[in-house]
Amino acid sequence: MHRKGKQRLKLTLVNLILILVCFVTFIPILYAFSVSINEQNSLLGSDFSFIPRRVTIANYRRVFTEEPVVLWFRNSMILAVSTVVIALGTGIPAAYIFSRRRFPGRKAILQLLILLYAFPSLLSMTALYKLLSPMGLINTRTGLIIVYTGTMAVFALWNMKGYFDTIPVELEEAAKIDGAGPLRIVLRIILPLAKPTIAVTAMMVLIYVWNEYIFSINFMTGESTYTLAAGLYSLQANETSGSWPVFSAASLLVSLPILVIFFALQKNMTSGLTSGGVKG
Amino acid sequence: MKKANTRKKYGTLISYLWSAPSLILICLIVIFPILYTGYISLTNMNVYHWFTYDVIGLRNYREALLVFDSGFLSALLLTVVWTVANMILQLVIAYLLANLLNTKGLRLRNCYRTLLIVPWAMPGYVSILLWKTGMFNSQFGLLNQWMEKLGFSPVRWLANDISAFVCCTIVNLWLALPFMITIIDGALQSVDQSYYESALLDGAGWLQRTRYITIPAIRPIIAPSVVITIFTTFKQFDVIYLLTQQAGAKTGAHIHTILTYAYENAFITNNYGYSSAVSMIIFVILILFSYVINMKPKEES
Repeated sequence: MHRKGKQRLKLTLVNLILILVCFVTFIPILYAFSVSINEQNSLLGSDFSFIPRRVTIANYRRVFTEEPVVLWFRNSMILAVSTVVIALGTGIPAAYIFSRRRFPGRKAILQLLILLYAFPSLLSMTALYKLLSPMGLINTRTGLIIVYTGTMAVFALWNMKGYFDTIPVELEEAAKIDGAGPLRIVLRIILPLAKPTIAVTAMMVLIYVWNEYIFSINFMTGESTYTLAAGLYSLQANETSGSWPVFSAASLLVSLPILVIFFALQKNMTSGLTSGGVKG
Repeated sequence: MKKANTRKKYGTLISYLWSAPSLILICLIVIFPILYTGYISLTNMNVYHWFTYDVIGLRNYREALLVFDSGFLSALLLTVVWTVANMILQLVIAYLLANLLNTKGLRLRNCYRTLLIVPWAMPGYVSILLWKTGMFNSQFGLLNQWMEKLGFSPVRWLANDISAFVCCTIVNLWLALPFMITIIDGALQSVDQSYYESALLDGAGWLQRTRYITIPAIRPIIAPSVVITIFTTFKQFDVIYLLTQQAGAKTGAHIHTILTYAYENAFITNNYGYSSAVSMIIFVILILFSYVINMKPKEES
């Protein structure tokens, strides 16, 4: 009986600590949310309270009416989809080959890819700028897509190769005996089995493009070409207390799709990422 | 024999054909710019010499590595301090929280876990900007509103080096802990419970069990993720850049990691040659680093 009581006390304590930790974790997000729906913009007043007295969605409306958010969203989507298609389209066959076949140069290339993965693309920004500008690709979507696909191609190849390694070869051998060529094997056997890693890799590429701001603000000039990340960055850069409620509303809106995708794919996260050689 | 040889050659050709699109892409967009960065690092390219630069040999490297005032060495030192401090805090806090999550009989375990990984799912730059404006802003940030309520005068959190470093560390922990908690939590679940039972019978306390059972058991499982986190912490750019040194909105703190240092020299002071030299040095450090911890791919040969 005494032991049981002690156990219960311990559980209560653990629960209390965890609730507190969760609350502290959420403070920045909750505060942003509270500011974004607060009708009185009394940010500077001393009577500010965490829970707004009068609720409004005016700031969310202002995001869409006063800022070119829809345009930025469109730019981000175009960039993200193109990058995902190119990175996966080139990455899947290469990952399959590197996982299944042994050929001269394979090991060396894999080693090189590991090194390249360690290199932050930020460091070659000057070189990329200098190379893209004579081709007229600065301030164009194509230029950014080129930069993003390069960075993500290394990641996609490594991550999917790691997962392909875990798919038993025997499955393919049976198909080979039936006379299936490599293309058919990939399409019919590998792709259906590799869904988790393809989903996770695509998600990581998408999130990367969605969140990338530094290339975007340096390579794109002019509000109409901004991505969501660059747009948000420019919103906060002319930071005044007046634009902060709009900024917090926009931030939460931009985060929402990423949160949804993340939690939808969370089940696949562990298997799709941890079996690969590289984690994002 | 000859037939086998041609078939092998044919196989190699097919392999390269299949991987060609990806490899060509990587060569053109990743490798070539790195080589080009290496070339720029040997020149005096800057905003005045954008087209008319000269090759000046290793002078940029000499300036970065031998002239202490250039700032690179102090940035490197700060990056090491930053990485060590962040890794220790991350591992300790994540370990404690993961242990709490694994308390026997905890019904809301999955609920807490889901809530705790939300920062991981948020876009990183959004979180950092929310911290910057929402928490640390000297006029309407939440911290200063609390300070005011408690009767203190407002503090400019990001204006001096030490408090800015602490603020950056807090934000980085907020961003990075969810991943670490997930990894350690998964590792803890895989530890064989029977070890603990026999240790309890022997009267081992929590510290002893942690030291002799838990840590040795989870170490190999979490090692790869820890190594990756060391790399990302070492290469951290967003937190420090966005919090303290956005172009046109510097807060007054002068904390530079090697990445923000390279960036500032390239895009703020436009010293491209010098910045490229710094980039190449960073690349070499990263290569050496990965050789030291031997992060070779696990391969079934």
